[in-house]
Amino acid sequence: MATYQEFIQQNEDRDGVRFSWNLWPSSRLEATRLVVPVSCLFTPLKERLDLPPVQYEPVLCGRATCRAVLNPLCQVDFRAKIWACNFCFQRNPFPPTYAGISDVNQPAELMPQFSTIEYIVQRGPPTPLIFLYVVDICLEEEDLQALKESLQMSLSLLPPNALVGLITFGRMVQVHELSCEGIAKSYVFRGTKDLSAKQIQEMLGLIKPTVAGPQGHPVAPQDAHTSCRFLQPVQKVDMNLTDLLGELQRDPWPVAQGKRPLRSTGIALSIAVGLLEGTFPNTGARVMLFTGGPPTQGPGMVVGDELKTPIRSWHDIQKDNARHLKKATKYYEALANRAAVNGHCIDIYACSLDQTGLLEMKCCSNLTGGHIVMGDSFNTSLFKQTFQRVFSKDFNNEFRMAFGATMEVKTSRELKVSGAIGPCVSLNSKGPCVSENEMGIGGTSQWKICGMNPSTTLALYFEVVNQHNAPIPQGGRGAIQFVTQYQHSNTQRRIRVTTIARNWADAQSQIQHIEASFDQEASAVLMARLGVFRAESEEGPDVLRWLDRQLIRLCQKFGQFNKDDPNSFRLSESLSLYPQFMFHLRRSPFLQVFNNSPDESSYYRHHFIRQDLTQSLIMVQPILYSYSFYGPPEPVLLDSSSILADRILLMDTFFQLVIYHGETIAQWRKAGYQDMPEYENFKQLLHAPLDDAQEILQTRFPMPRYIDTEHGGSQARFLLSKVNPSQTHNNLYAWGQESGAPILTDDVSLQVFMDHLKKLAVSSAA
Amino acid sequence: MEEQYIKPGNQDRGWNDPPQFSYGLQTQAGPKRNLLNKRVPPPQLSDCQSPVPGMTPPASHSTPPSNPLAPPPCGVATPPRSLPMKGQSDTPTAQSENEPCVDDVITVLTCTLTSCRRTVKKQVCDDVARRLKLFEDAWRDGKLSLPVRRRMNLLAQEMRSQKWDSADEIHRSLMVDFAGEVSQWMVGVKRLIAEARRLGPDVLNTAKSDPFPDSSHGGDAATE
Repeated sequence: MATYQEFIQQNEDRDGVRFSWNLWPSSRLEATRLVVPVSCLFTPLKERLDLPPVQYEPVLCGRATCRAVLNPLCQVDFRAKIWACNFCFQRNPFPPTYAGISDVNQPAELMPQFSTIEYIVQRGPPTPLIFLYVVDICLEEEDLQALKESLQMSLSLLPPNALVGLITFGRMVQVHELSCEGIAKSYVFRGTKDLSAKQIQEMLGLIKPTVAGPQGHPVAPQDAHTSCRFLQPVQKVDMNLTDLLGELQRDPWPVAQGKRPLRSTGIALSIAVGLLEGTFPNTGARVMLFTGGPPTQGPGMVVGDELKTPIRSWHDIQKDNARHLKKATKYYEALANRAAVNGHCIDIYACSLDQTGLLEMKCCSNLTGGHIVMGDSFNTSLFKQTFQRVFSKDFNNEFRMAFGATMEVKTSRELKVSGAIGPCVSLNSKGPCVSENEMGIGGTSQWKICGMNPSTTLALYFEVVNQHNAPIPQGGRGAIQFVTQYQHSNTQRRIRVTTIARNWADAQSQIQHIEASFDQEASAVLMARLGVFRAESEEGPDVLRWLDRQLIRLCQKFGQFNKDDPNSFRLSESLSLYPQFMFHLRRSPFLQVFNNSPDESSYYRHHFIRQDLTQSLIMVQPILYSYSFYGPPEPVLLDSSSILADRILLMDTFFQLVIYHGETIAQWRKAGYQDMPEYENFKQLLHAPLDDAQEILQTRFPMPRYIDTEHGGSQARFLLSKVNPSQTHNNLYAWGQESGAPILTDDVSLQVFMDHLKKLAVSSAA
Repeated sequence: MEEQYIKPGNQDRGWNDPPQFSYGLQTQAGPKRNLLNKRVPPPQLSDCQSPVPGMTPPASHSTPPSNPLAPPPCGVATPPRSLPMKGQSDTPTAQSENEPCVDDVITVLTCTLTSCRRTVKKQVCDDVARRLKLFEDAWRDGKLSLPVRRRMNLLAQEMRSQKWDSADEIHRSLMVDFAGEVSQWMVGVKRLIAEARRLGPDVLNTAKSDPFPDSSHGGDAATE
């Protein structure tokens, strides 16, 4: 039999799913005693090279409350042409098109290797993708120039038939008409006055105010498509739009000494959302906001225009001293929800050295599946390349983006779904498989994800509802089906269906089996997402205490120890990394706000709740590799003891790549040994981490910061702040001189953390 | 086909700005060679007390070991790759041998435009022509860098052989790698590729054999 590791890897590759437990406890009571809930990380559109989509409609279960999709787990009677739903046990006749079915002639969806299958379906006329650029013109000259070039460049990367639109804003908001003839025209809005969606649509001529009844009559949809002067096919307007972008000037309104420019971001976004709402509801669309500073006027303002009043800090927020925070957040949340209802996503590209209001605006992206990219300037490779990668293509030469997705979860009756955490909103779809105990965004079995890519990953939490005294028959299996409907970047409507099953196990007699089925990497990320979700509404210390309590309980449950003897404590291999993950999670920027601005915290959390397992885990516990003359590159402990004079270290924190040269290596490099032919090996040693870093840089989205530093360098702090401080100024001499680098910190080390954990886990008082 | 290079990031504007990869390098990124995703369990936790790499370093040397004594094993495990991390390799000496000829490039582009004039709106064609002029002037004034000139030459060759996908891809690589230098006129080339692609090969072939392309469009240009 394959090891669990192989099983887990196989399932991730095939179905894009990683479960906390790969054997499920067979009763509610036992499930709660396992501490980590039955839950999974699910990547709905995981890139699959070997998965050709089929060109027909899925076959659905006839029961109105079920509607599960025919899948390999269903019992099929080939003679009677009947299949039994594995979720509700309803017996369904096959549709007439399946008349030729037999056990040697099966449709793909019944074959075990198609536990994940994708259908191309016909749903109305295909509509082109839509990209609406919303551009801040209160930028420095250099930044504006770089941004203009990037936007012009993007016209070459967009699909030729995509519709594109342009809104610019400063003190005023301009909606540009993109007809291909004649002179450039634009509609100008004041940046201070909030307008309703209807007013915006009237002013833009999208609905006729004269004939407006109580609701206002939208122009007939096909008219809107052809006559919307603000959204035009790239291939038709690319030349004019290139010129229009080229001619963009900085906001001409004077900015007085000591003032911030007046930036009407709130109104600009409101117009963008209203424009799309009126013209292309329920069609894949991307609002792309490019901004170089905080909104300073009108609804959604984050800070006033007086430079002497700084933008809110964590300190201000904790002291309830952030004047605009609540109002602005509420404003952007309302906008985000409107966009989500219409299936449109909002990206934010914020490039500035100071904060730009991501804390208030983050919901625009978090609720709609849009990207947030944070950089120092638009004239950096970090922004330029990240922006290019938004338009990256897969191996079939199709864009890695999908729109307007709904993801539905169906469960067999022993399970219910408690909620999801990811870049989604609830569709409030009640049903038999919805749990009353909410975790994350709950109370529903369907979520909407307006913008997705192949790495977008949701965390889903389940509840085992089977009662303790009603045992599940031996050998029984529980099943979950994920049905994701979406608009593919080639405008096709597609449905991807993933059906998985796991065995039930009796937690009393089979606890070792359950323990062996524990996926500690998935569990760490799933618990971390719960923690981060809580941190959005709870105080930081409360979240840490909650995480600590869960960890202690897990160690009590699965550790091997003699009561009250911490030294006897052992964890089996399937849990060996878990406490270390929790230790680093506690220190991570997702739960600690110290040394981060509110915008930075929002940015880090934004990425954490959408990336796949591998990337999320890198964020929790950065990867550290060591390069030396003594062997090939090897992973080493993320620990100060790994910082050695004759090593080069490569650390990947997801947001940063750090190459650190140990003291001796740095001296050799300074002395120029790498340039001498007899030290060719040294040259190669210097190159090895650069090559590996390059591979990461080539594919990572967003582009990470890149730090090349050495022993004693000021930037070495990026490494020193991440490693476990096993040697500090306090215990240095106990460790001797030669091993590792002492960290000047009072932070608790992993050793101390573990000592306390063991003590608490084995304590009979606990 | 295209240059592959890595430029340093803009350290003046971006703190620890990452290096910039050329379009060719970005698009070719395939499956990773070295997956750096392994972790080591802390020594005090697991049952099997695995030795911790890095905990027992040999005494440090004052100079690197020379080749015969300690050949670098990492060089064996990861063979040296030809892509240096630093420095611009965009102006390598090997490339400067054959300077592309502006007239060749312009001829191909204008010939194609002439063919397009029979079916494409005059306004669009004039707009394309205006941009081709911008391009030609920039080239003649020495404002275009060698890699741009070379890639435009390549693009023209692909257009001549009616390899539209390839020409389009070169246009894209130029837009990504040299946006500032080419963005004002490249959109004209882009449109030209798109319009020419729609014409049948016959139309293009007749135009190509026409010795006087400029005099041949006459009244056709006005038809819309």
